[in-house]
Amino acid sequence: MTAERVYRLLLRVYPRDFRSEYGREMTLIFRDEYRMCDTAALTFWVSMVWDVAHSAMSMWADVWIARGKNYTRTVEVVMKFAGILAASLGVFGVLNAVAEGVAMRGTLERPPLLGVVLGGAAGVLLIAAGAAVVRSTRSARNTATIALVTSLLIVMIVRLTHPWMSELSELIGIGLPIALLAALHWPRRRDDSSASPA
Amino acid sequence: MTPESHLPLAPATFQILLALVDGERHGYSIMKEVTARSDGAVRMGPGTLYGALKRLLEGGLVEETEERADVEVGDDRRRYYRLTKFGLRVARLEARRLEAMVRAARRKKLIGTEPA
Repeated sequence: MTAERVYRLLLRVYPRDFRSEYGREMTLIFRDEYRMCDTAALTFWVSMVWDVAHSAMSMWADVWIARGKNYTRTVEVVMKFAGILAASLGVFGVLNAVAEGVAMRGTLERPPLLGVVLGGAAGVLLIAAGAAVVRSTRSARNTATIALVTSLLIVMIVRLTHPWMSELSELIGIGLPIALLAALHWPRRRDDSSASPA
Repeated sequence: MTPESHLPLAPATFQILLALVDGERHGYSIMKEVTARSDGAVRMGPGTLYGALKRLLEGGLVEETEERADVEVGDDRRRYYRLTKFGLRVARLEARRLEAMVRAARRKKLIGTEPA
């Protein structure tokens, strides 16, 4: 096996993109260095292996930092959609509470006024939480957390006082705030925009 | 990005920029220039060189020029690199930063008052 082939094998430790972009040039340099080498073969190979080892680690670090940034961006986009969904469902909740209140006013049964009012309040809180999630700042995150916890408590009170609450309402009123709270407080990597100096 | 945001430069990066101040060079020529300028004290392997060049290209400090053979080294076509105006500004800023540090070291008598 020639020295150049051994070096080409060593190049396999680099990330694929880096290798395909610079592998040929690096092999040319290796060939030049090998031809002009004025040190012992062992010294030469030790320096080459050392160079490959520490530069490959650095290249892989760059790859993982880039992947981390992509992951952070994806999470941000998903959270914005979740915020818009929460706000939309909040609007739906408020409209639904108003409609129920209006529809039950003329019936013999006394309108479940507390349930309607609390349902409307939970909807307003979902709108506030959704808007805060979309803003995605630290203070907005705290606002969203408070709004979601309060909305969750209200819906649970409504569920206890009015057991005929529909499954869809339970899913929206209880499942959504829990899912959003989990997503907001799930430990995630910080966007490290201060990559190592050039 | 501002030129200042690239500072401080890694030693290998500054060595590459210094090598390119004279004009465009291919990878092996950059390595030889760095070794010759430092009297052999700084030896850069191909991995370190192209890792640094990749970052310099991405940062817009260096750009690739035409690919051609260097008759002094061989027939193989090689990629040539040159400094951009932005890269030159960054190199100047880094040189000034290092100069200020050396001046401070002189004032503290860590090194002689006259350059060696």
